[in-house]
Amino acid sequence: MSSILTDIDLDTTMLLLPEILMLLGIVAMILIPNLGDATMRIPLTRTRVPIFIGGTRSEFSNNPKLPNTIASGVLGLALLTSFIYLGEEADVGNALHINEFSRLFTLLFTTALLLATIATSTRMPAKPKATPPLVADSDEVADSKVAALIDNRRQVDFHILLLTTGLGMSLMAMATNLFMLFVCLELASLSSYVLVAFHKEADVGGEAGMKYFMVGSVVSAIGIYGMSLLYIWSGSLDMVDLAAAWSAMETNDPLAIIGVGMMMVAFGFKVGAAPFHLAVPDAYSGASSPIAGLLATASKAMGFVALIRLLLIVTMPPSGQAIWMLSIALIAVLTMTWGNLAALTSDNPKRMLAYSSVAHAGYMLAAMAAIGSGLADTSTSSMILTAVVFHLLILVLFKLGAFLVLSMLESDGGGHRIEDLHGLVRREPAIGVAMFVFMLSLAGVPPLSGFLSKLLMINGIVSVSAGTGAATSTTVADWAGGVDPLFWLAVAIVLNSALSLFYYLRIGLVMFFESPETESGLRKAPNLRLAIFGCALLTLLFGVGPMSEWLLDMVTSAVDSMMGL
Amino acid sequence: MGIAMAVAVITTMLFLGQIGNIDWTNITQGGYVLQNEAVELIPSIGVSWKVGADALSFPMIWLTAVLIPISMLVEWDAKRGHLFHPLLLVMEGALLGVFVVLDLFVFYVFWELTLIPMFLLILMWGGDDRRYASMKFFIYTFTASVIMLIGILVMYFHTDPISGLGSLTGHHFDLVAMTAQENLIPSEGLRHLVWLMLLIGFATKMPSVPVHTWLPDAHVQAPTAGSMLLAGVMLKMGAYGFLRVAVTIFPESTIEFIPLLIALGMASLVYGAWVCMGQTNLKRMVAYSSVSHMGLIFLGIATMQPLGIAGALFMMFAHGIISPLLFAVAGAFKHHYHTLEIGSMRGIAHHSPWLAAHMMLGWMASLGLPLLAGFVAEVAILIAFWMTYGWLVLLPALTLIITAVYYLSSMQRTIFESNDPENGILPDTMHGEEPRDITWHENAGMLVLGAMTVLFGIMPFIFWDMMSDWSSDFTVETLIDAMHSQGWKP
Repeated sequence: MSSILTDIDLDTTMLLLPEILMLLGIVAMILIPNLGDATMRIPLTRTRVPIFIGGTRSEFSNNPKLPNTIASGVLGLALLTSFIYLGEEADVGNALHINEFSRLFTLLFTTALLLATIATSTRMPAKPKATPPLVADSDEVADSKVAALIDNRRQVDFHILLLTTGLGMSLMAMATNLFMLFVCLELASLSSYVLVAFHKEADVGGEAGMKYFMVGSVVSAIGIYGMSLLYIWSGSLDMVDLAAAWSAMETNDPLAIIGVGMMMVAFGFKVGAAPFHLAVPDAYSGASSPIAGLLATASKAMGFVALIRLLLIVTMPPSGQAIWMLSIALIAVLTMTWGNLAALTSDNPKRMLAYSSVAHAGYMLAAMAAIGSGLADTSTSSMILTAVVFHLLILVLFKLGAFLVLSMLESDGGGHRIEDLHGLVRREPAIGVAMFVFMLSLAGVPPLSGFLSKLLMINGIVSVSAGTGAATSTTVADWAGGVDPLFWLAVAIVLNSALSLFYYLRIGLVMFFESPETESGLRKAPNLRLAIFGCALLTLLFGVGPMSEWLLDMVTSAVDSMMGL
Repeated sequence: MGIAMAVAVITTMLFLGQIGNIDWTNITQGGYVLQNEAVELIPSIGVSWKVGADALSFPMIWLTAVLIPISMLVEWDAKRGHLFHPLLLVMEGALLGVFVVLDLFVFYVFWELTLIPMFLLILMWGGDDRRYASMKFFIYTFTASVIMLIGILVMYFHTDPISGLGSLTGHHFDLVAMTAQENLIPSEGLRHLVWLMLLIGFATKMPSVPVHTWLPDAHVQAPTAGSMLLAGVMLKMGAYGFLRVAVTIFPESTIEFIPLLIALGMASLVYGAWVCMGQTNLKRMVAYSSVSHMGLIFLGIATMQPLGIAGALFMMFAHGIISPLLFAVAGAFKHHYHTLEIGSMRGIAHHSPWLAAHMMLGWMASLGLPLLAGFVAEVAILIAFWMTYGWLVLLPALTLIITAVYYLSSMQRTIFESNDPENGILPDTMHGEEPRDITWHENAGMLVLGAMTVLFGIMPFIFWDMMSDWSSDFTVETLIDAMHSQGWKP
């Protein structure tokens, strides 16, 4: 029996470089800030030798910016290496498989984490009374204010958790074994529960983390129970074995069906699908904005990877309709409608973005249902999956970007009421315009990237469902009767997108029209500003022109590598 | 300001310089001049950069290129000019984009892009109620164009793959290929639905009753240059898009819905004119007269005669030079008299002879005085309407009398009538000061517009020949078959 340890040679290890870097980063994060002048007496002698760990810390190891620098450096390197190794393919042991698909998701996770790290670099006060730096401050004053704000050790805890989340997510994207998948999922999830509760500046932080943890652990328990049922049924947790057993199954075995259903609940919670989303708005609005953004993008992407593996690899029949198709379709419609209706009534921008995130999960689930209908040929399935993965990728730009803007407001104590956004364009024209771009992209307005992915998803659904006798009908009613019921998923997406315009544009309108409560600018955070502008620019560039084509090609080939084409 | 002006003038020059290179004999439907090789933008979903001009778009491009420098000239002394004039240039780029692209995705992008500068112009330089006006403007036109986008998407999903475009989706946004594709949407019911969606998008922009209510508010609050461009070119985008997309691709549906077109056109024409009579605000009156004139465009298209369609095209063009003149006059009036109330003063002719002259010329052109540009279009549409619908023509013809009534009465009340022929009555807002006549740059802009009004009234054939050729070809190639298949006899 082979194990992970015996199977690995040096070449394969190099392919794991992003994960190894994150691991080293965690170790460095523990060691470096503790470097000091401590010495140890060699027993029975009077000689003291320096051991460097502990004692009075030097200015370098005491630097409050250190953990953040380490984390962003490590994540940046991980991003770079995962990009370099994008095309490589290898087995690591018998539970991990590196291919373009998993590396693309590493890219996604590390980008999201890097953005969240940048956003955290000038916030996280250790003392509630400390004031953040203002635009008018000189660099030195700003640095000293940041130093007063930040507690090095608290920073260390936070950034270790960020890296652990990244490590868990990144490994999960490679898992070919349900057990491995669940372990990595839990590693990422448990870290993210703590991260949610880390936001102690706000009173609701702890409550949100607790809620998220309670619901999350119950749901995980359900998922693990479902997994154990699958194990009882087939005797293996390897996805390839499970898929073989599934397609060999002649009559539906209740054990297997219930097992898969329970796992769908667990992953559905991760992606924020209704009716398992009830903890999502509380968690997002209680967490600090960068973490909420992380949950809405990286965590959601993680859930979708798990769902894609479970639904498309394990339980997708070679032909005909998948057994989960109807339930996923219903969940999709419920999710997008519930999300949008709830977002319409939210006055808290973070809560609004949380519900919008739920709605986006609905759109993607609808696309998954189109694959499950069995009407799609291989290339169409690949196209639909490309749309979903592309959407997950660009969500990092405009969903997390919107949370980054809220993060700027939040570090001035705002960001929880729509009034905090009033007149943002007058206070900070560039930030306000970037926020408007994010809103339009979330709504799916051409030529922003949000439109491109939505168009691809709708196109996928339409192309598998239309053309079943609809062409010859003369009235709309005839025509509507002639299309496959799946077609109404596309209509649901379009109607929901139209509905969502109201609350996205509402943000735009208050930013442009209402008078701000204060005329002062936002805090000084050059990196964060740069990140926000970068996100806004890429939102546009990935929507139209050669860069969008480049990203689409990359996603297409990644999806093909996953589907074994 | 100077730089912005220079850029605008150079653009105009470049454009006018190109006219000599155009093969004019080729301006027919389907034959685009100045067409480029398509450049792929997003080949995966079938978006390409493809531009071209024909007799439908050419006058509009001409109009845009000429109006932008004029509107800059008229508002030469705008506050915060370093923002104002560049915004006008952004506007020019977006408008030219709308009129030249032949790809519906890019068309939609430019269509929405025109919103942003206009929205900012109203919001930042507008009157006292500018927030309400710009929000209303944005919500109306944006909602309508989202509906239009859904229609465009349905068309998109019906396109057949063409080589090199739509590698991922198998569909494309290429307008020329969509037009060429036989029976783009086979299902008749769906086709009508899509046509109606497109109509909502375009009719709101035009605007037609009952979705016109954003226009008076936007016009009253907008700065002068904003109003000039809004009335001069932006409203034409609606008519242009309607002809370019809805009528060209779905002629059968257009014929099916001719009663609707007539109803909308008549309603806009009559209601717009009727409401004009009750207006006391100068800009609001001109705005409603725009609604009224846009109704004539629908009527011209509804005739399904080459003459009527050419009339509609000429109406688009003529209204595009007359209404900026009217708004320039209204803006100058506001500038120097600090009011827009029509009845608040008498005898402008005494105080501001130049302003009075321009006002007079603009109003006369707008009510359709022969030898001025508006007359050509109106008479062509009315003749074509009579050819198709017989005595029904009395309704639009009589409405033109209403137009004359409101213009003449306001003319009498503002320009001439004064109890004391030596001194006019000044509005209260002047606080007894003697107003000056309009400034040199306002005067220069209005002079150019006035000269064009006269020029195209006396020599309409400059554009008319091109338009009527295009309309004949359009009728023969696109409409006749559809008329036969619908059993529609004019």
